[in-house]
Amino acid sequence: MFTMFDLNIKGNSYDKNLILAMQASAYGWEHINFSYNQIEFDNALTFKNDLKNELKDVIDIDYTLIIESNNPSEIRKIARKYRNKSSCISVLGGNLKVNRACVENIQIDVLSKPYFKRYDSGLNHILAREAKDNNVAIELVFNDILKSYLSHRSKVLSNFRDIYKLYRKYEFPLILSSGAESILDIRTVKDFKAVFTQTGLTFPEVESSFKTAEDIIEFNKDRKNMILSGVRVVD
Amino acid sequence: MKLKVLPKSQRKHNHYLVLEIKSEEELSKNDFTSIVWDSCVRFQGENNTSNFNLWTIELIPNEDFSFYNEYKAILRCQRDFEDEVRSSLALTYKYNRKAISITCIGISGTIKGCSKFI
Repeated sequence: MFTMFDLNIKGNSYDKNLILAMQASAYGWEHINFSYNQIEFDNALTFKNDLKNELKDVIDIDYTLIIESNNPSEIRKIARKYRNKSSCISVLGGNLKVNRACVENIQIDVLSKPYFKRYDSGLNHILAREAKDNNVAIELVFNDILKSYLSHRSKVLSNFRDIYKLYRKYEFPLILSSGAESILDIRTVKDFKAVFTQTGLTFPEVESSFKTAEDIIEFNKDRKNMILSGVRVVD
Repeated sequence: MKLKVLPKSQRKHNHYLVLEIKSEEELSKNDFTSIVWDSCVRFQGENNTSNFNLWTIELIPNEDFSFYNEYKAILRCQRDFEDEVRSSLALTYKYNRKAISITCIGISGTIKGCSKFI
């Protein structure tokens, strides 16, 4: 049985985060990450410990830094700056240069929405192979299906299917997250799984996406002891 | 003349979904039924939706204080199509230009069994 991980719930003020976390816990989630962009992240760190203490018995929480920039060198700079402060660093994709820079950077954990504001999935066989080699997960966001309708929704689903095809061939890490902004966007874990199985993923693939999210958090706890990839300091 | 009731072995097998609804607008049972049909037809199409055998059993308003109008509902659907129905309902987010959220909190083979989720 996997722990139910959601690495991308849009972070807000202390009170709103508290309500979101309570609702997520009631719907069966066991760990959530609140995501903030590079501008809001420092401010959000000030109440992280209070939030963690308040929700100690309810749900595990952490923060994701979501880098929103179209400049690859700026992305590299921000990733280096926040690597030790954040349990997960994600980059908002969509721009081809950003997608490429992200999957080639080992310091980045997640490429979020590679299909964002595009007519295609934003991934090809080369980027998929790079993502696999550098262990960068590709994130698909439930909120993109939820908040779109008719032809736009079917295009998003079609982009998802293109990504599933590459995922099956190149086996890069794939994670699914809700991207919820309010309690109206949170669904029960079973509903969440049902939606993704309907879009073309198999049930074990959906389950393994939760495992991938858990692995990212676990890997980053030990990241400071990694000298090179594959070499770790053991006391 | 009324049709004779089918023998038990020939009838369709049903499952009952217990739904939690949060809405900015007050809902009646008819509103809820049209939301369910609309979301299923939109996401699954007319052909698939015809298999679901949908029927609203009950819509129960929640009396507790909340920022939204909260309801619980029991919805009948045909066995083996639960995932299709719950995914369609999970993708509902607007009704009459007001925000709405529907999520399935329980599932049972009998209406009586639903009571433990309500």
